[in-house]
Amino acid sequence: MKFGPLVFLAAFLGLSASWYGLVLTPQVQLGRATQETNSVVKTELYPVGRPGLAREGLEVYRANGCAYCHSQQVEQKGTLIDVVLTEVGTNSMNVANALNEAHVGDGKFNGPSVGAGLPKPVLKGATIENASVLANVLKKAGATAELHLVPTGSDIERGWGMRRSVAQDFISDATVMPGSLRVGPDLANVGARLPDLNWQLVHLFNPAAVTKGSPMPPYRFLFERRKIGKQPSPDALKLMGEFAPAAGYEIVPKPEAKALAAYLISLRSDVPLYEAPLTPPPAPAAATNAPAK
Amino acid sequence: MNATSTTSSASDSISIAEIDASCRVPLFTLFVSAAAWLVMASVFGLLASLKFHSPSFLSDCACLTYGRVHPVAVNALLYGFAVQAGLGVSLWIIARLGETRVVQPWLIAAGSKLWNLGLTVGVIGILAGDSTGFENLEIPRYGVVFLFLGYLVIAFPTLVTFHNRKERALGPSQWFLLAALFWFPWIYFTANYLLLSHTPVRGVTQPIVAWWYSGNLNLVWLGLVGLAVIFYFIQQLMNRPLYSRQLALLTFWTIILFASWSGIPQSAPVPAWIPSISTVATILTIVTVLSVMMNVCKTCGRGCSQTENPTPGKFIAFGSMAFAIAWLMNVLSAVPGVSSVTNLTWFGVAQWQLNVFGFFGMAMFGAIYHIVPQVTGMEWPCAKSVRRHYWLAALGIILIALPLAIGGLVQGFRWANVNVSNVDVAKSALMFLGVSTLGEVLILVGNLMLLGNLIGLSVRYYKIHFVPVYKDATAELKPAEVKP
Amino acid sequence: MNSPTNQPASNAPDSSAKAPALPIWLIIVFFMLLYWGAVYFDEHGGWFDAQIYSPYVSAEQLKTYQVGGGPNVFEQGRQVYGRTCFTCHGAAGMGQPGTFPPLAGSDWVNEEQPGRMIRLVLQGFSGPGLKINGQPFNTGGAMVPWNSLSDDEIAAVITFVRGNKEWGNKAGPVTPAQVAAIRAKVKSHSQPFSPTELEAISPAD
Repeated sequence: MKFGPLVFLAAFLGLSASWYGLVLTPQVQLGRATQETNSVVKTELYPVGRPGLAREGLEVYRANGCAYCHSQQVEQKGTLIDVVLTEVGTNSMNVANALNEAHVGDGKFNGPSVGAGLPKPVLKGATIENASVLANVLKKAGATAELHLVPTGSDIERGWGMRRSVAQDFISDATVMPGSLRVGPDLANVGARLPDLNWQLVHLFNPAAVTKGSPMPPYRFLFERRKIGKQPSPDALKLMGEFAPAAGYEIVPKPEAKALAAYLISLRSDVPLYEAPLTPPPAPAAATNAPAK
Repeated sequence: MNATSTTSSASDSISIAEIDASCRVPLFTLFVSAAAWLVMASVFGLLASLKFHSPSFLSDCACLTYGRVHPVAVNALLYGFAVQAGLGVSLWIIARLGETRVVQPWLIAAGSKLWNLGLTVGVIGILAGDSTGFENLEIPRYGVVFLFLGYLVIAFPTLVTFHNRKERALGPSQWFLLAALFWFPWIYFTANYLLLSHTPVRGVTQPIVAWWYSGNLNLVWLGLVGLAVIFYFIQQLMNRPLYSRQLALLTFWTIILFASWSGIPQSAPVPAWIPSISTVATILTIVTVLSVMMNVCKTCGRGCSQTENPTPGKFIAFGSMAFAIAWLMNVLSAVPGVSSVTNLTWFGVAQWQLNVFGFFGMAMFGAIYHIVPQVTGMEWPCAKSVRRHYWLAALGIILIALPLAIGGLVQGFRWANVNVSNVDVAKSALMFLGVSTLGEVLILVGNLMLLGNLIGLSVRYYKIHFVPVYKDATAELKPAEVKP
Repeated sequence: MNSPTNQPASNAPDSSAKAPALPIWLIIVFFMLLYWGAVYFDEHGGWFDAQIYSPYVSAEQLKTYQVGGGPNVFEQGRQVYGRTCFTCHGAAGMGQPGTFPPLAGSDWVNEEQPGRMIRLVLQGFSGPGLKINGQPFNTGGAMVPWNSLSDDEIAAVITFVRGNKEWGNKAGPVTPAQVAAIRAKVKSHSQPFSPTELEAISPAD
């Protein structure tokens, strides 16, 4: 071939283009990421590192190949906005008229009713443009309104997360395994969905015990079946009915099982970020010891 | 067709028999190892498949849990079979097309042994829990070192053989094989170094590197080597040249420029530009498929099996069709509307199986069944098995790819429907998985036939060539022969 | 198999005289796909911005979705800076050569752990031997201690300075809790820190 070295060089450049674009550039952009602020509560940092036991659990997750059936990447199709009225201000008639003119709801707002049951959403599932317009209108009428972000997508509707997964979610993990097949549900936020340690352990020991008909294999080798000593162990699994061990025996998790369960419970990524904005749900009211009224 | 007489003098020209004789040792080692790993991959793949129908099957042992058995099957198929068979066939084609003897055949055989050592150590490591967690890169560090060294020991003599060629003009097969020869160590070293060294990349750049590597191995490397083999053999079998050199040129450049960027899924937790670029590149590989199909169909005309021994041709023909379907499935799964359904489903698994086994594997089988009788001068011990292997493999891969593709679509639609529970989605795939398990059984039987044939042929070769020599050398001396 | 030579003829230099050219329809398909690809990337690619994730398509659009509530620490920090720090360090954080060190792009500001910077603000800074980005910097005067500011205000202004992308700083934020912790540690240290003293303290402290 006449242009041998030239062709070789061109082929080499062609093949290294993908290295440049898919290996070097992402590393430059994302490789040195550090903690970011929570975009709503700006004094909080995200992500906080996983506690030690959860980090060991990540190694158990990797060694047993959990990523071959479970993904850790939540998708998002779009973001809709709810306009939530928080205060009516001094002239509720104005506000009601403004809402009716904007053809919001069924146009039947009137002075007294518009201020009832606040805070309440007056427009749901709107685009950002329409929502901003309405918020301005309400502001001019003297009311205060908030815009609440509502991410949409089938993953989010299934409760697998409140927003999509982004690079920031993974910076504190030694091995990042987003998965490639969803035989089972996505686990990016399983710690928010199923935070009970005993549930996670029982599910690992025998998935059929908590999810009937589950194709997930039982991870019995992570547990130990032993005779109950003088007292049952505080770690023993609470199993019911046909899944409970024989009388006099208890199932106790080995350190690997505890680590894996701790890792699963640490998987929470519902924090609003600049690149994945979210309106977090209102925190539940603080519990008090005061007697019920 | 001109007899190529560009060789200078009669004393320089080497006969085909001499070229083949120099290939014997490395090819034996590489092909027998590849066949053995293929059987192992099928066994582990079947094991993994069975676990879906009976989740507690062999689940009491940590080393046989699905999450360890599945990567062993994948790595054995890719590194044990695909890369070794590919290197063996590449070596033979480079030697034949270059009209030169293989350089240092025993070194290449040693490289294969080193490769096998690395893979064995790696597989044991995965079963013991040392898997790295990255798809197609699960072999732990201690195995990777041997694999990489083994590859260099095989590739360097191959390169020298290519350099020694008498026929200086290069054809499409040679461009493809040379590019592949250089590309593998580059992607393998880069990916493993960035992921497994003492200072690996952090965060989501890890799966990005793993996806980049996977795409380059499964599409670029397997594509280059597989197509080189297909192009070479259709010319051999049809006794005519490739239809269009220019189309082959287009194929070469589109693989290098576009297929090397594909592999990042749409749903990945990465900034939008990365999956976008990957999607655009994947869809551009339609041009690759069209150019290959046109070249193959126009060259083959009435079919590749019109020769005395049609089976290798049948394997090659099946391989070409599977190439088109697998790559078109890949394109389809990248189309923006379709990817939201097929992403993270069995559809991707079906596409991978069809690409690695249906396209590359079948092309390698065709090549092996053609090459080994030529190189050894002997017929296969059981010629019927060769035909049976074809039907088992063809039926097997169809029974794997088709149900899994449909199952993947069903699964995708059901995941998108909020009213279907997690367990119901998993259950809906079971029927399709059942058919694919049957396909895996057929493929396992076929692979055992290949291994059996190869071992049988080597035993027979040993008996014919070495045993009489040995007997002669160790026979009792007649009194007349003893000199005082 | 039964071919006379082992050499596919298209490898020979003088092979088939009428080598078929590329079919025109294939070239058209190729260019149509390239065009589609360019349009698709333009619409969905976010133009290589590392902060744009689908479904968002541009930085401007992402900004409109930032409607979250909560106290805006960055803006609060900007106000504190405008009241207190800019007289010496300048409105653009450039300081004054020979007198006040710059904050823009300074390695002291961009350290991963903010311990040293918090100490600086709390207890002041004076003395020779300051090195910024490896270059020695002569400070004419001293920096007064600002421990009269509250933990919230100090955290806000340090967050503002560390995270100010316009100045080329990209360090992480600082919380009031971190400031309070260091305030307790330096209670006993009444003099302003000198550069050598601060360099001796590990940033993670």
